[in-house]
Amino acid sequence: MKIGIMSFAHVHAAGYARLLAGTPGVEVVAADPGGNLSGDAGGEVRGAMLAAQVGVDYLDSYEDLFAWGPDAVVVTSENARHRADVELAAAAGAHILCEKPLATSWEDGLAIRDAVARAGVIAMMAHPVRFSSAFARLCAQNRAGALGNLVAIRGANNGMLPAERAWFTDPVLAGGGALADHLVHVADLIDALTGAAPVRVTATSNRVLYPQRDVESAGVALVEYDNGLVAAFDASWSVPLRAPAWGGLTMSVLGTAGTVDVDFFGAAARGVDAGGLAVERRYGADHDAAMLAAFLEGVRTGVQPQPDVQAGLRTLSIVLAAQESARTGRAVDVAALPR
Amino acid sequence: MTFDDERPVIGLVGAGGISRAHMPGLLRVAGRIRVFSQVGAQALVRDFSSVPVPVDVVDSLEELLASCDVADVVTPTPTHHGIVAAALEAGRDVICEKPMARTAADAQDLADRAEAAGLHLYPAHVVRYFPAYAALKDAVDAGTLGDLAVLRFVRSGAFPTTPWFGDVQASGGIVMDQMIHDLDQALWIAGPVTRVSAMRTRTESATGPVEAAHVILTHAGGAISQCSGVWGPPHLAFTTEYSAAGTGGTLAWRSREEDRYVTDLARAADVDGFLPPVDPADDPYAAELADYVSAIVGGPVPRVSAADGVAAVRVAEVALESLRTGRPVECAATRVEGELR
Repeated sequence: MKIGIMSFAHVHAAGYARLLAGTPGVEVVAADPGGNLSGDAGGEVRGAMLAAQVGVDYLDSYEDLFAWGPDAVVVTSENARHRADVELAAAAGAHILCEKPLATSWEDGLAIRDAVARAGVIAMMAHPVRFSSAFARLCAQNRAGALGNLVAIRGANNGMLPAERAWFTDPVLAGGGALADHLVHVADLIDALTGAAPVRVTATSNRVLYPQRDVESAGVALVEYDNGLVAAFDASWSVPLRAPAWGGLTMSVLGTAGTVDVDFFGAAARGVDAGGLAVERRYGADHDAAMLAAFLEGVRTGVQPQPDVQAGLRTLSIVLAAQESARTGRAVDVAALPR
Repeated sequence: MTFDDERPVIGLVGAGGISRAHMPGLLRVAGRIRVFSQVGAQALVRDFSSVPVPVDVVDSLEELLASCDVADVVTPTPTHHGIVAAALEAGRDVICEKPMARTAADAQDLADRAEAAGLHLYPAHVVRYFPAYAALKDAVDAGTLGDLAVLRFVRSGAFPTTPWFGDVQASGGIVMDQMIHDLDQALWIAGPVTRVSAMRTRTESATGPVEAAHVILTHAGGAISQCSGVWGPPHLAFTTEYSAAGTGGTLAWRSREEDRYVTDLARAADVDGFLPPVDPADDPYAAELADYVSAIVGGPVPRVSAADGVAAVRVAEVALESLRTGRPVECAATRVEGELR
């Protein structure tokens, strides 16, 4: 199976490339035309240099990449370039794993949905936490009724500012800051756990951390769902850049029969180094590997895996509503978003 | 003033659940404790009959107020305004459970009455005296966290079994009764609030009602806070947590993870769904009552003021308005500047 990597813009691209390159029966070729331009001038390792580091072949252009005939591609370009890249891949008949968020506007999200449908290819959103064993356990307990009826959820997806890629704080290329980057993961988990649709969103954000950047670095949101569930999100880039680990994702689910609290990346051995700094050696299965396996299985069988583009649109609607609420100070009716 | 060995006579109004959390602290500062309550006064006095401080029951509020130095009001919320006003009218300094009153107007009225009468009035925002929360406040005040960016507070336990708590008209529901602790923390640590947005849900189930609320606050100083409250099923243990991040770093705490006395015994311990466990050597209720009584007998200004009590009720009330309207609500200054006494 031939898998193309479209762009090394996203910080997750190298990890995916490495895992795919280590998968038996999978050939990986990366193209990073944006990276050819930026090179490592801004201190960002991209392009052929990064391809060599992660051990995958490299081509200079998307034209060359599609001439190679990939069965599927991983779109890890800047958020605002997802639409163009997905349209290119779909037109070439390649299945698509798309980095989150789906897009930076509703219009682009719909264009992605339509391009994929027209081409009849599989498109899957890259939400690795969905594939963790802890989430499978939570879903199984919920299905078995252990939680009763779900009432409220809290989710915090906090991480470091993705400082190794400047575009993450470019309002146009990223489509926003922390809210665009981090709301979608918890939103996707709630989507998978409950199937409930978001109805109303309020949010607030600030730029207290990294005030020189042009986007919000901290953001919290409340979401009401059509089944009455209320959820609170913290999407902030609030983990200091010198912290011992990048951040994580925690979720607390309240039902009428009790609560489940999950810290999806929390398992670690902890200590202190001789300089007095915290040491945190995390362990546990790699959620990215499980997600990529599900995608490859979909490509192999032709059966659309979840989360699909529709799920990507539902989580995108929460991001767009939260951004508007943070901007205007108003509650935003998800159904009334400018579409 | 009817001091007995320099230690004041405390008039305890109410004998419900929280009165038992107050008693150990009151015993450390009181010369005598007199109790008036429509329900439970005899049982409370019986349970504390073998203490070195005299504890007795009186038959009316008037009699209690006529024979105490300080009133400690631990009655249901809707009665606070009337009882505190009567105590101030009788010339007594007052300690009052949170919320100081059911409405911000009533809370402000009590603060005004206390000021006009030159009497002390302290709302029992006891979380300010819980060591883990004082540690956060100390770190923020010391500049360890730099400029605050984002804070989260969580408070979770069982749905209260005493009926008036569940009556939203009487108690104000989970936001006014339970989350007000964390609204006060947010105000104390991150300063005045300019906008409040709230969502709440309540569900009936076979084991009784479950109620949860989330509130997000925009602070005038730039920080944002998220508070979450849970009144869950009857078995749910009481837990709290916070996390705070600023330009200088982060601080986070979860009660469950910091339980440093862990048992695994054949006879399982009971779970308390209503009140947090306290270290008797570092009892926050006792620290709070000692701070207030010390101020009343001439000591330094305590950690909580009547103005703080008004501000917390005001933010909770704005959250209730947000629940009603489904929209974020802008609020005027939520903290009265200057100390009210």
